[in-house]
Amino acid sequence: MDLTGSHTLNAPVATVWAMLMDTDILARIVPGITRLEKTAENEYLAIAEIKLGPVSGAFTGTLSLSDIRQNEGYTLHVKQNSKIGNADATVSIALNALDDAQTEISFNGNARLSGLLARTGQRVISGVATTLTKQFFANFEQELATDPATHS
Amino acid sequence: MQINLTVNGKARKTDVEDRTLLVDYLRENLRLTGTHVGCDTSSCGACTVHLDGVAVKSCTLLAAQADGCSVTTIEGLAQLNTNGTIGQLHPLQEGFKECHGLQCGFCTPGMIMTAADLLKRNPSPSEHDIREALEGNICRCTGYHNIVKAIQWAADHTAAPLLADHHVWTNEVAVTV
Amino acid sequence: MTNFFKKMSNKFIGQSIKRVEDKRFITGKGRYTDDIVLPGMLHAHFVRSPYAHARVVSIDMTEAQAMPGVIAIYTGDDVKDLNGVPCGWQVNFRNGETMREPKHPMLIATGDTAKHAGDPVAIVIAESKAIATDAAESVQIEWDELPAVANPAEALKPGAPKVHEQFPDNTAFDWSLGNPIEEVDAAMAAAAHVTTLEFVNQRVVPNAMEPRAYIGAYDEVSDKYTLYTSTQNPHLIRLLMCAFVLGIPEHKVRVVGPDVGGGFGSKIYHYTEEALVTWASKQLSQPVKWTSDRSEAFLLDAHGRDHVTKAEMGFDADGNVMGLRIKTVANMGAYLSTFAPAVPTYLHGTLLQGLYVTPKINIDMTCVFTHTVAVDAYRGAGRPEATYLLERLMDLAALEMGRDPAELRFQNFIPKFDGVTEPGYQTQVALQYDSGDYHPVLERGLEMLGYADFRAAQKEAAKTNKLLGVGFSTYVEACGIAPSAVVGALGARAGLYESAQVRVQPTGKVSVFTGSHSHGQGHETTFVQVVADKLGIPMEDVDLVHGDSDALAFGMGTYGSRSLAVGGSAIIKSIDKVLEKGAKIAAHKLECAEGDLEYAEGKWTVKGTDKSIGFGDVALTAYVPHVYPAGLEPGLDFSSFYDPANFTYPFGCHIAVVEVDRETGKTTLKRMIAVDDVGNVINPMIVDGQIHGGLAQGIGQAMFEGTIYDENAQLTNGTYMDYCMPRADDLPMFETDRRTTPCPHNPLGVKGAGEAGAIGSTPSVVNAVIDALWSGGHQVKDILMPMTPERVWRAMNN
Repeated sequence: MDLTGSHTLNAPVATVWAMLMDTDILARIVPGITRLEKTAENEYLAIAEIKLGPVSGAFTGTLSLSDIRQNEGYTLHVKQNSKIGNADATVSIALNALDDAQTEISFNGNARLSGLLARTGQRVISGVATTLTKQFFANFEQELATDPATHS
Repeated sequence: MQINLTVNGKARKTDVEDRTLLVDYLRENLRLTGTHVGCDTSSCGACTVHLDGVAVKSCTLLAAQADGCSVTTIEGLAQLNTNGTIGQLHPLQEGFKECHGLQCGFCTPGMIMTAADLLKRNPSPSEHDIREALEGNICRCTGYHNIVKAIQWAADHTAAPLLADHHVWTNEVAVTV
Repeated sequence: MTNFFKKMSNKFIGQSIKRVEDKRFITGKGRYTDDIVLPGMLHAHFVRSPYAHARVVSIDMTEAQAMPGVIAIYTGDDVKDLNGVPCGWQVNFRNGETMREPKHPMLIATGDTAKHAGDPVAIVIAESKAIATDAAESVQIEWDELPAVANPAEALKPGAPKVHEQFPDNTAFDWSLGNPIEEVDAAMAAAAHVTTLEFVNQRVVPNAMEPRAYIGAYDEVSDKYTLYTSTQNPHLIRLLMCAFVLGIPEHKVRVVGPDVGGGFGSKIYHYTEEALVTWASKQLSQPVKWTSDRSEAFLLDAHGRDHVTKAEMGFDADGNVMGLRIKTVANMGAYLSTFAPAVPTYLHGTLLQGLYVTPKINIDMTCVFTHTVAVDAYRGAGRPEATYLLERLMDLAALEMGRDPAELRFQNFIPKFDGVTEPGYQTQVALQYDSGDYHPVLERGLEMLGYADFRAAQKEAAKTNKLLGVGFSTYVEACGIAPSAVVGALGARAGLYESAQVRVQPTGKVSVFTGSHSHGQGHETTFVQVVADKLGIPMEDVDLVHGDSDALAFGMGTYGSRSLAVGGSAIIKSIDKVLEKGAKIAAHKLECAEGDLEYAEGKWTVKGTDKSIGFGDVALTAYVPHVYPAGLEPGLDFSSFYDPANFTYPFGCHIAVVEVDRETGKTTLKRMIAVDDVGNVINPMIVDGQIHGGLAQGIGQAMFEGTIYDENAQLTNGTYMDYCMPRADDLPMFETDRRTTPCPHNPLGVKGAGEAGAIGSTPSVVNAVIDALWSGGHQVKDILMPMTPERVWRAMNN
């Protein structure tokens, strides 16, 4: 499954970058994530609850960042296991400063599903991916709106 | 938890685990194994029973949700003799035999229960009505042709003159082509 | 061979007797394996690979083992002494190299590699199904995921992921049949017209409505196992499990196939779960039950078809078929299932002459491993693929050459032969057809269709948005598998006879034991019709016993439309023995010579007199032998084995009429006509029912069904919400008729009807859509099955 998208945020690139590197904020804005715990440099334990059409499940797994380029982007690797199957996603995230107050965030990657998730989830998964993406950016904007001071 | 149901006319009081599905309760607790499980997505209809007179897929309900209700399964569709043996069959049961509406028999209870619900709502359904009503039941053996005919047969014979005739299990009627 | 039909009273044979087995099914009293509960029974659930290709790094069972109610968890390390599930057919490479036969292990052990999604890693046994399921989900497995391939053509490409390290080209074997390729190349080069078609015969899932279920029960006192199994062939399962997998003595194992909710091939094979519940019941001294859920069935039950083909048919200027050149890659899945190697070869390649005079044919098959569950026989097994290939080519060639598709067939049909006055018809591809008369089935089909009127209506429809199309398919298939010596020479590791026992009870009632297994076919009715007629007694006096290895010495089971042709013939042999011995007893009682007696209406009569003795009296005398022929053994009970002289060759004509919506691409099947010649018919109602079911499955493949694998070889439509099966409102009423050309080499003259519907129908439906599109000016050669509205729309708007 391919994951691609982009969105323009009303914030300078440094603010967006700082938010993307802050695990507390990430835990709040990434849809489904209920807990994010640092286990090593750029490596995290992630617990998520996700509903994919007819199947829903609690996922546990790891989230790691690599190829970190400040104010430019990084590669996110998420590996999640659950009783209904496993998911493995690699997504590269890029930031692009449109001007001093606007940043375009874009991502590109793919996810691999297995088990029941693959058998029953794929029919609806592109729809779910779109929904999750929209949620992510909506959450991002809300986070920016609530307390912009903490992000500068 | 404890549930109280009327199943095939008999009051039942049973302790079940909260997560017990109605179909598992019928099959495992009551040993009414005529209701079958053919899938895990409520798609095949092999588990169809009547809940307070309406056809439902018993794999989509918890036994607890049927608490206080009346359930009829395939085992309770025929009229029983006082000693509990099968007396007069339901017209659909006869129709399925008369028209060869079953082969392996696995989907048959669900088909008959769904059709019984249809005939209650629509006593003289067209072929189209019947095919639409069966949309939630899968049969892999018959191609549905003879199931449609069986339901038409039952619709034509509810008046019961034939049902009074104890011909069904003898060769005399059987050899009538 | 004498024609049995002529000397029988035929009170029951040929009559649509209503089924005697129906009563239990319509009242909810059928007894399928999952309905059976044994005292102390435990429940199993399997931990399976979520990946199509992955190495087991570690297994952590700590949490699962600690759960209350969990009795045992076994992994690959516990069963490493058990053998793999064997393959029952060996087809070697054309250069003589032995067929590559990887071990199909019971469980994937730590360090080993799962080869398809669903490959089992552990079996969890608990007090209830719910506990077993919960515990199985708590087993933690660390996986090292590896690249995987599902498409057979992709698997052959250099650099494709390897299914078995030791077979780097993913090839199980290759095979060819027919005339030398040079001769076929020459015929094709000389052809005035060559029709070429590259197509996929997609993978479909059998989907018997009853998921597989097994109960293994070991009795410590007698050291005896009982296996209840939803199988099509209990004895074959016993042989494979005892001799090849578990290494336990066969006489200590009873295999029972109770009521079985459909098979369609998928329940022929011996599966790992059968052996494991049997094995585990001994480890625990308690019965162990496993019932597949539907999701598991999609992952684990052997699938069908899955060919990628290039086929070319050459014609001379007059439209006579001159040559046929075929290159096909067939998917075997990850492991070789019981009959898998035979399906694309001896059940497919040998049928590629069809019912046409075709001077030169060459077939080139490559059978490959992929990271998918096994592909084996599914209703028709190879013959639907052969028919699809030939019949698509015939209709397409007719369109390309501007010929009428029916006329083109009439021109090329093999002339009538009865197998009595001549030895049958020898094809270019090994088989000798037993008897055939192909013109009448197509003539009758055209008559039912109202061909001239249809073409007129089609012209009118072409002016509208609803195009009409007609598709033809005329098929011949091979049933009643098979002469043991022949299949043995072709690589079968089993004989393919059938056995039967006719036990006349002292009161003249008859118990018939058959090695055939009924799972919807109605044997309890049809076999009894035959026995009652032959003995001249009421059907109520005859009972059929099947599905229990303790009841009958041996049996080969039900598949390949073989039960009546082979199993029925074995019954006739036993009845002949009963009547022969009965005549000796009757002659003694009537004080005459055996030759003076004739048997009819249930009694022996001294010819030309009214002196007679009834079947029941003779039976009683056999068991109370006070006045009895000297030297004759008491009793009236005979077993027989029947090994057929040849396959049987049913044939027929299927015609589909479709309407295609030009705006949406939606196809509606308006009519489905089937005229089949399955030899003599014992019960027309049951034969029609078999045809109907086959048609629905064949139409299903054309219009609705097909697996979808993603790039990681994950099956993405493994539920009834995602895998589209024909439902009642997708199908019309079927129009069926029959012609009768008796089989010349078995006593009943029967050929078999179980698969015909699925064999003929698929290409007729696809041909009909192609015909509709051509009528609307879209000269499309092929539409990938299943023909979804999107695919049809794209074909018109490309």
